[in-house]
Amino acid sequence: MSAWIDGVLVTLILTNLAVLGSSRLNACIRIIALQGVVLGLLPILVGEGAPTIRMTLLTAATMGLKGAVFPWLLLRALRVAGIRREVEPFIGYNWSVLAGLLSLAASVWLGGRLPMPETARSSLVGPVALFMIFCGLFVIVSRRKAITQILGYIIMENGAYAFGVVLLEEIPVLVELGILMDAFVAVFVMGVAIYHIQREFDHVDVDQLDTLKG
Amino acid sequence: MSASWLFIILLAIPTAGAAACLAARTPAAALWTVFAGVVLHATTALSAARRVLALGPMASNGEWFLLDALSAWHLIVMALVFVPASFYAITYFRDETASGALSLRLARRFGALWFGALGAMTLVLISNNLGILWVGIEATTLLTAFLICLHRSPTSLEAMWKYLIICSVGVAFAFMGTLFVAASASRTLEPGDALLWTKLLDVAGSLDRVMLEVGFIFLLVGYGTKAGLAPMHTWLPDAHSQAPAPVSALFSGFLLNSALYCVLRYLPILERATDYSGWAPRLLVVFGLISILISAAFIIFQHDLKRLLAYHSVEHIGIITLGFGLGGLGVFAALFHTLNHSLCKTLAFFSAGRLGQVYGTHDMSRISGALRAAPLWGLGLFASLLALIGVAPFAIFMSEFQIAKAAVDDAAYVPLALFLLGGGVVFIGALRHVVLMAWGAPPDGTRPERACSCEWLLVWLPLLALLGLGLWMPHSLYDALSQASAIVGGHP
Repeated sequence: MSAWIDGVLVTLILTNLAVLGSSRLNACIRIIALQGVVLGLLPILVGEGAPTIRMTLLTAATMGLKGAVFPWLLLRALRVAGIRREVEPFIGYNWSVLAGLLSLAASVWLGGRLPMPETARSSLVGPVALFMIFCGLFVIVSRRKAITQILGYIIMENGAYAFGVVLLEEIPVLVELGILMDAFVAVFVMGVAIYHIQREFDHVDVDQLDTLKG
Repeated sequence: MSASWLFIILLAIPTAGAAACLAARTPAAALWTVFAGVVLHATTALSAARRVLALGPMASNGEWFLLDALSAWHLIVMALVFVPASFYAITYFRDETASGALSLRLARRFGALWFGALGAMTLVLISNNLGILWVGIEATTLLTAFLICLHRSPTSLEAMWKYLIICSVGVAFAFMGTLFVAASASRTLEPGDALLWTKLLDVAGSLDRVMLEVGFIFLLVGYGTKAGLAPMHTWLPDAHSQAPAPVSALFSGFLLNSALYCVLRYLPILERATDYSGWAPRLLVVFGLISILISAAFIIFQHDLKRLLAYHSVEHIGIITLGFGLGGLGVFAALFHTLNHSLCKTLAFFSAGRLGQVYGTHDMSRISGALRAAPLWGLGLFASLLALIGVAPFAIFMSEFQIAKAAVDDAAYVPLALFLLGGGVVFIGALRHVVLMAWGAPPDGTRPERACSCEWLLVWLPLLALLGLGLWMPHSLYDALSQASAIVGGHP
């Protein structure tokens, strides 16, 4: 199973690089949806033997939320608020991808120095989680639109989630569901917030949200 | 009453209250529902805390829930913030409910989210599972975000968005930290137990040290963002200044403390695992000092009253963190300071909110003669700001003095010097603002504010408590603080 897990982790890396290089918001949201579906495979893959109810439940919840509900909410926010479809980065796409590759190298170096426990199903998971956190942060700070900040948050959350699933054999299912629930409410609340910001300001450019200072 | 029922009731009251608020028929009814529910919750919480302090910790439901002296102490502080703040909300919104500015929809939303925040914070305090602890903190962020922009304006939306993003990202860091800590136990604990605080503490000596330390850095940055530690505090002045005054009081009085409480839970685990090397407390000292110094710089040049109070929160959270970092007497003093700061800061925000209504602004250059224009709230602001900057004999002076003493005991002279420097700058900077606001002639057109008798209680009770605690510490309080600080210290 370990090869499959590595495959999933590599896919996560590739989807992040794709987000960094993509100029259309719709495309970014779809890539993140794909990332969510792939992420949903992890609970099934890390289990040994036949899938248990717990794993199936988690897989279904993860795929459903991150692969379908989140993108639906975000695409709806785009449509309802009438947001322009370009990403409008502060840092160009090529430089973004380059930054992504550099942070990948840094994550591999950093992650390699962590003493992973024997229960970890893949030695890749530390570097991938760190890379996703870097990537998420980068998307948050380097893109102009509020909606891309939500995407960055989802990437970070996905990284932490992958880390937890692969590293820890058994987090109680209630805790996992609580975590998923929080992620769902976060995206929902942020989506509503974007709608209100668009209505009040007629734009969702976070660099113009700079009245409060000092 | 068995322990498991108690925990269920503590969580059920906010849930039921939120539902009742959503069904309220008038704005005033929603606000009174909030007050009644919060009083009921506080009574339960206080009786539970008393029992824990007298008889020892309560655990239940397969160790998912735990109430020990540390969480009991925070439950008490939470009750002392929520009850007055809920009552204050009724008086604060009185004009708005009369004029229709606070519509039924807004009042319902306010009540439900207020109860939601209460429930989430209770969940944080009573959970023994570190995953649930995280879920609770993230829930407080999401539930309180819309309280900031209850009155929709461009600035309140800006503050809400910054709060939402910065705190969510911060708390995501804390999630990674939680996972690192759980992973550090993979060799010693059953997988299902790796998130239970009591189990982790029992086997702390055999946890993987590197994983634990990496995890603690993530946790400190993550929960520290929510607690308002500098330099991750940037959301805090915006949110505190834009939220309606009762919400600001709640944020400053307990939201920050509940996040810091999460860091406290990890402190004894770290200390035991590293043979009391003082590695984790030293990090706390550094963050505490940075917070004190940065906030001091902003306090001098502040123009907005509520932002001034917000930077005071950063300063005091820094002082509390410093106390925890110093250890020994410092932990005791920091827990005492938590109570003093919460009492004092809620009063300060109450007064600032009402003065803002009287003057129509929070710009300090346009607030003058507050003692004449609104005698009660002017006095509240004047006295609470004096207490906040550490004037004797208020209790805040006592707890800051004890923290300084802890630094001397520890021979930590550099932190002591920086603490005194920051405190001195804040003292001078804020005193200037206080004097200018309190005296002088009120501007034309401000109508003198007449306060009702129950508002007198809101001002005088905390003031008398702060005075009383500054002069004399009851034995039961001493006992509660000792028990709680023993848990943070982590000595078996």
